[in-house]
Amino acid sequence: MVEKILFVIFAVLTIIGGLGTVTRRNIVHGLLFLVFTFLNVAAIFFLSQAYFLAVVQILVYAGAIMVLFVFVIMFLNLRTFQQQEQTHRRQRWVALGLAVLVLVEFVAIFAGMTFTSARAGFSPDMVEQSGGFTRVFAWSLFERTLLPLEVASAVLLVAMVGAILLVKKEKGGDVATQAWDPEEAPPANVRDEEV
Amino acid sequence: MEPTSATMPIPVDWYLYLSAVLFLIGAVGVLTRRNLFIILFSIELMMNAVNLNLVGFSRFHEDMLGHNFVLFTMAIAAAEAAVGLAIAVALFRNRQTLMVDLFTRMKG
Repeated sequence: MVEKILFVIFAVLTIIGGLGTVTRRNIVHGLLFLVFTFLNVAAIFFLSQAYFLAVVQILVYAGAIMVLFVFVIMFLNLRTFQQQEQTHRRQRWVALGLAVLVLVEFVAIFAGMTFTSARAGFSPDMVEQSGGFTRVFAWSLFERTLLPLEVASAVLLVAMVGAILLVKKEKGGDVATQAWDPEEAPPANVRDEEV
Repeated sequence: MEPTSATMPIPVDWYLYLSAVLFLIGAVGVLTRRNLFIILFSIELMMNAVNLNLVGFSRFHEDMLGHNFVLFTMAIAAAEAAVGLAIAVALFRNRQTLMVDLFTRMKG
């Protein structure tokens, strides 16, 4: 019963955080809401007995990835974000209507479904026998998904090299600026206000 | 519909509803916002919604495979964030803006 109440509380906070993320005009505020959402998702992971994943969520998502975002926002030296309409005005209502429609569909489908499982959640006996959740997690990770784990490490390496190559400046001045075509430039007032 | 499991304290369909709402918030964010950063945030939101589902069903079926998949999702999310931010930096150098509807060079 307590777990259900806590789940509802954290679910509501998660949704509030998500709404804040997509509605804030200032990206730093959006980022803070996103961190809030991640922390609430981590709390739900704790409630779901995914203790290791909850800690990884806080360390990797709310820690490392968010620091990366903050660093890039700082690195780009973006000016003020106020006063500027940052949404596609015409697209907004279409998107909202579609989202509500899909949500209604989801709810209709979920309400008609019965979930059956041969087992009934991690029982205390089972956890005690197998030596804790993290031990079972590690066994499963290295026994059943060893190849995907290695592939994931390769993907991370490739992403790192790709990110470095993309950000690297070319030799002999800023080629990017030379490729700039004045005709394509957004109107000066737009450029000054919105970035 | 109540799941048949008797000892699981949180019904598995609650996870489904929560993650559906969170995923759709992320989708609306991707569709409506013009700022590249907010779009990247929204993608992270959608990935978290998927993770919630995986964890909920992993508990329901008493199987750790779902947890393993969440770990892979996190690895891919980290890679995606790094490459996405690198693209954002390159774009900002080129065009001095991050509003996605101003990137029209490839428009046919």
